[in-house]
Amino acid sequence: MGKVIVVTSGKGGVGKTTSTANLGTALALLGKSVVLVDADVGLRNLDIVMGLESRVVYTSMDVIEKQCELNKALVRDRRVDGLMLLAASQKNNKDDMQPEQMKAICDKLRTTYDFTLVDSPAGIERGFRNASAGADEAIVVTTPDVSAIRDADRIIGLLQNVEIEPINLVINRFSPQLVGNGSMMDQADVLDILNIDLIGVVPEDSGVITSTNRGIPLVYEDGSPGAQAYMRIARRLTGQRIPIPDLEQKGLFSNILNWFTKNR
Amino acid sequence: MNLSIKQLFGRKPKSSNIAKQRLKLVITQDRVDVDDRFMTRLHHELAEVLAKYFEFSASSVKMNLKQEGNSYILVADFPYTKFHDMSMRR
Ligand SMILES: Nc1ncnc2c1ncn2[C@@H]1O[C@H](COP(=O)(O)OP(=O)(O)O)[C@@H](O)[C@H]1O
Ligand SMILES: [Mg+2]
Repeated sequence: MGKVIVVTSGKGGVGKTTSTANLGTALALLGKSVVLVDADVGLRNLDIVMGLESRVVYTSMDVIEKQCELNKALVRDRRVDGLMLLAASQKNNKDDMQPEQMKAICDKLRTTYDFTLVDSPAGIERGFRNASAGADEAIVVTTPDVSAIRDADRIIGLLQNVEIEPINLVINRFSPQLVGNGSMMDQADVLDILNIDLIGVVPEDSGVITSTNRGIPLVYEDGSPGAQAYMRIARRLTGQRIPIPDLEQKGLFSNILNWFTKNR
Repeated sequence: MNLSIKQLFGRKPKSSNIAKQRLKLVITQDRVDVDDRFMTRLHHELAEVLAKYFEFSASSVKMNLKQEGNSYILVADFPYTKFHDMSMRR
């Protein structure tokens, strides 16, 4: 039996789709069988971020409306073994799907694939409920800014209400420089507020934008800091214990001050 | 006043610290609001069911959620004036 993990955030634009695409690809590169489900009905993006947009024929809506079998609706990613995509319908909207219908799809996928990653739309309404309906676990993505963290807290509360467990946090677009000069909250600050387990920190990386332009997930570029961060998170998802490196780059002066404040 | 060495040296507070303090306040309030909405709904639904059996004045009802360690305890006071259904008194 595999796991169904919803990737969600509350706020839009924090990196849910980027994280779903990269973690899915990374898990497949690690030899796992993976299916990526786009649950952003009406605003689908996962297909284009994955570079699979030209190969999508059927969507989850066609499966629900029994126009096609689930297996036939899955697009195979030819770049790596064991990676599939189930696209969202672009002509429907979120109310055309019921949470139970999404759950039924996830229940089937769980029997065949090691990992089913569901890319959730922003918000706390119907789209989020659809996306989380079939999930065993959750990954909450946030950026280290006030509005994203506030929304993440709301989403975490909703996930806890429906007993989705564990809920793991990804801090995305982390900037060591900004943290270093005191204009961005660090890991400890974010965890102090949200109080859930951290599964990884992804740095701000211009490679994310260029890889999205090309439709080639960043994790194929081994060298980039973003790719390395996603590979580490994928390994943790498979149960490997890998420490979370401290991405902060503090100046000598700030390190000395820290030492004083900590040891006072 | 609890001045840290950091504050003594720094000319103005780091914006990341301000962000954290503001977030802590707003999130505490958000959580209370969610609990309030939940309690109001529970209050209404419980009162609806209990009104079938008892007579009570809505204003005398008190409900509280207490936290003890990791668990919550719901304490509800419904002072009633009489039973509606006589057969229940036996
Ligand atoms: N680590 C990162 N570094 C740089 N840009 C990023 C990073 N993560 C996401 N982005 C950019 O942020 C934007 C929103 O990301 P996306 O994954 O679509 O968010 P969501 O699905 O949460 O709305 C995209 O333009 C993406 O390229
Ligand atoms: Mg998205």
